[in-house]
Amino acid sequence: MKIVVLVKYVPEPTATWSFADDHTLDRQNVEGRLSELDEYAVEQALRIAETVPGAHVRYLTMGPARAADGLRKALAMGGDDAVHVLDDALHGADAVATSLVLATALRQAGFDLVLCGMASTDAEMSVVPAMVADRLGVPAVTLAAELSTDGSAVTARRDTDVATEELTAPLPALLSITDRSGDVRLPSFRNIVAAKKKPVVTWSLADLGIAPERIGAATVVRAVRPRPAREAGTVITDEGDAAVQLADFLAANKLL
Amino acid sequence: MAVRVILGLLLTVVASGLAGRRLLMLYRLGRAGQPAEPGRTRGVAARVRAELTEVLGQRKLLKWTVPGTAHLLTFWGFLILGLTLIEGYGALVDRDFHLPWIGTQPWLGFLEDLFAVAVLLAVLVFAAIRLRHLPAREGTRSRFFGSHLGGAWLILFMIFNVVWTLLLYRGAQINTGNFPYADGAFASEVVARVLAPLGTTANDVIETAGLLLALGVVLTFLVIVVHSKHLHIFTAAPNVAFSRRPRALGALQPVRSGGKLVDFDDPGEDDVIGRGAIEDFTWKGMLDFASCTECGRCQSQCPAWNTGKPLSPKLLIMSLRDHALAKAPYLLAGDDHAGVDALAAAEAQRPLVAEGGVITPDVLWSCTTCGACVEQCPVDIEHVDHIVDMRRYQVVMEASFPREAAVLLRNLEHAGDPWGRGAANRLDWTAKLDFPVRVLGDGEALPDDAEYLFWVGCAGAFDERAVRTSQAVAELLHTAGVGYAVLGSGETCTGDPARRLGNELLFQELARQNVATLTAAGVRKIVTTCAHCFNSLANEYPQLGGTFEVVHHTQLLSRLLAEGRLTPVTPVQATVTYHDPCYLGRHNRIFAPPRDILGSVAGVRLTEPDRTRERSFCCGAGGARMWLEEPLGTRINEARTDELLATGADVVAAACPYCIDMLADGVAQRAAEGVTVTDVAGVLLRSVRAIPDDPEGATR
Repeated sequence: MKIVVLVKYVPEPTATWSFADDHTLDRQNVEGRLSELDEYAVEQALRIAETVPGAHVRYLTMGPARAADGLRKALAMGGDDAVHVLDDALHGADAVATSLVLATALRQAGFDLVLCGMASTDAEMSVVPAMVADRLGVPAVTLAAELSTDGSAVTARRDTDVATEELTAPLPALLSITDRSGDVRLPSFRNIVAAKKKPVVTWSLADLGIAPERIGAATVVRAVRPRPAREAGTVITDEGDAAVQLADFLAANKLL
Repeated sequence: MAVRVILGLLLTVVASGLAGRRLLMLYRLGRAGQPAEPGRTRGVAARVRAELTEVLGQRKLLKWTVPGTAHLLTFWGFLILGLTLIEGYGALVDRDFHLPWIGTQPWLGFLEDLFAVAVLLAVLVFAAIRLRHLPAREGTRSRFFGSHLGGAWLILFMIFNVVWTLLLYRGAQINTGNFPYADGAFASEVVARVLAPLGTTANDVIETAGLLLALGVVLTFLVIVVHSKHLHIFTAAPNVAFSRRPRALGALQPVRSGGKLVDFDDPGEDDVIGRGAIEDFTWKGMLDFASCTECGRCQSQCPAWNTGKPLSPKLLIMSLRDHALAKAPYLLAGDDHAGVDALAAAEAQRPLVAEGGVITPDVLWSCTTCGACVEQCPVDIEHVDHIVDMRRYQVVMEASFPREAAVLLRNLEHAGDPWGRGAANRLDWTAKLDFPVRVLGDGEALPDDAEYLFWVGCAGAFDERAVRTSQAVAELLHTAGVGYAVLGSGETCTGDPARRLGNELLFQELARQNVATLTAAGVRKIVTTCAHCFNSLANEYPQLGGTFEVVHHTQLLSRLLAEGRLTPVTPVQATVTYHDPCYLGRHNRIFAPPRDILGSVAGVRLTEPDRTRERSFCCGAGGARMWLEEPLGTRINEARTDELLATGADVVAAACPYCIDMLADGVAQRAAEGVTVTDVAGVLLRSVRAIPDDPEGATR
């Protein structure tokens, strides 16, 4: 069984973000990491691989040169190999373009089961999984909190506000995984050492047969401004009407 | 005569054979361990001094006066009575044998008898102590809980036998005229007077039989000793000789695999990080296990054990020793395990750390690394190193640790602090100060007029109470005119909690980053308010090539007071008790500066809790326990809070952010009205500020 996990190298949420002259994130100077939400997908892929004999786990990312660090982190958790789509023309690509690249790469690599995080922690679009599945013409089960497979189909549990659903899809299929799916493992020493030797191949747009002009963004960023500093909150001193004041505040902020 | 010689030699040969076989096995078992760290023999002077004070002087045993004195008498009794053994063997061959030169001096006869009697008295004291602290009555509060009680009584009985058989044949010798001492041997003379009425023949027989009996007892004792916890007779002296000096506290040892330092840039595939099986311990570790005498002094001081957790340092060491002995046939069988007996083969299958393993996870993770056990141990066993080494294997090799630690590790890895707040917010604490704090920019060197780099630490930057300490220290340094700068976002966690949790990989990452930052900034002197940061910076960073002159803020402030650069002017009318943080006091021997600071403030009445200085009781936060749940037993911080409140103090002062947090929580839990918990610097600031007592001031 070929399991492919889509992973993204994202800026560290606690780091100070800065932007380049073209209003894109300055990824050279901002610390990055394997997206925390994608770690849950890696974990689930590895758990399936532990139960399915002969399963092969591959990671696929599209990103700048440093995104290789994210692949190494995933490989240190486990898995077999990785593919890095790296091309200057990908700079500034939006979700539509990203889904095109990932779908093409998936078709080229081959897959039975595609897993990914429920969203990236930087853009937080959460649309790429569905777009990729649409381009590949395979079923998509998004926001899976639990999954299992018998080799021919995948079954997932999905918790929504109104119900808990159990969904089954025939393979090949794509699932996005939530952060409720289970604790993520810490890479063990042997795996960290072994990960250094696991193959990571780099594909360019030419390797994928995608013309650079098909990559871009449908929107243009006109300006980037830092978020204004947080103002001090309101302190209510209770003189008998604190509850009323609190209720008014919540109502004014449309929280009631 | 011939009978005496033949029987005596026969006894000796049999006993030596039995004991020798056992000692050879123990030696081979030690050799099955890993090579020990280099430096175990370095600093010969300190090692000789340790042998003199700890072995001959019984320094650590005498911390407990009554049992210590009894042990000192027994120890010296056995050394002196060693002379009677030589006399005994001599008498086998020559009935009138005496030691050369001094062998007939009355003072020697007196000395031998004096110690024979002293040992008898000591045995009585030991028996009384054992009866008073019967585990059956005291349960886990007894030092002897879980120790081999039958074995201990057998040893006491054998010591008693050694003494009375000795006096029996010496008394008979006096009556038969074969005694070396005409005078002085007062106890033997009493026995002689009792035996005299029996007549010459009877005394002849008693002399021979008594001598053989005495030798038989000593030789049986020898065989029992090498098969029991009493092995310390042979292992304690070498164990003390090869111990970490000055003590096995402060820094943790760098990780070695197969005796070689692990290169964390390019680790080998077969490297083993920490200890995952008994044979992963070094021979010195094995010697530690073989030295444990089950006295329970460590256990009596252990914060985990004292609050109902399953960790007893004594039981941990005993478990490792018993496992090593049970697995020995398997380990010593070489590569062919076919002939190994079933029990040893089964023991070899037992995991070192697991439910049902040699050590359970609850035991391993209960340790706060406070070092109270190491401080107490009369034979210098290095408990903390062994515990962390086992944690290292669990975390690094097995990725197995308490679930809630994952959050800590993730935050340290990605945000560089345990709270996950991120480097960008490391200067928030300076926002409200009415004087500037210099911040080193990225790659900027420490300016010449800044004497110190002020290492704020994660707690000092993010923890509400510790922020107040940072602000107080900054203001005091500013007032005293001490030039300093902070790193701000260039700082990351020193790695102390990661290392003590066993995550050496993360420690290496964090520590290297800090060493690189500090070195690039040309830092020579560092001042820090956190006892744990202090310990890492001062004692562990040299392992990574970062050697700095590190002072704790209490050291610097007390020096500024002494130099008159700070003057306490406002009296602080309060009864203050000071809690010694483990990592400042026991681990780093900084006891006086915080007390000097408190003593310099007019109005302060300083009281000491019962457990203080080297024997201070942990707050429960060390060893990364700050970030773990405490579901077992009662809470360590509350136990310590009770001890501190018992002093009647209305201010509890400490000098470590974690202690302050833990004790403040304890005070809140105990609803102790009007008791504040503060850093020592907070008390000083109140007094240095030329304003009357401000209840909402620095000690809030």
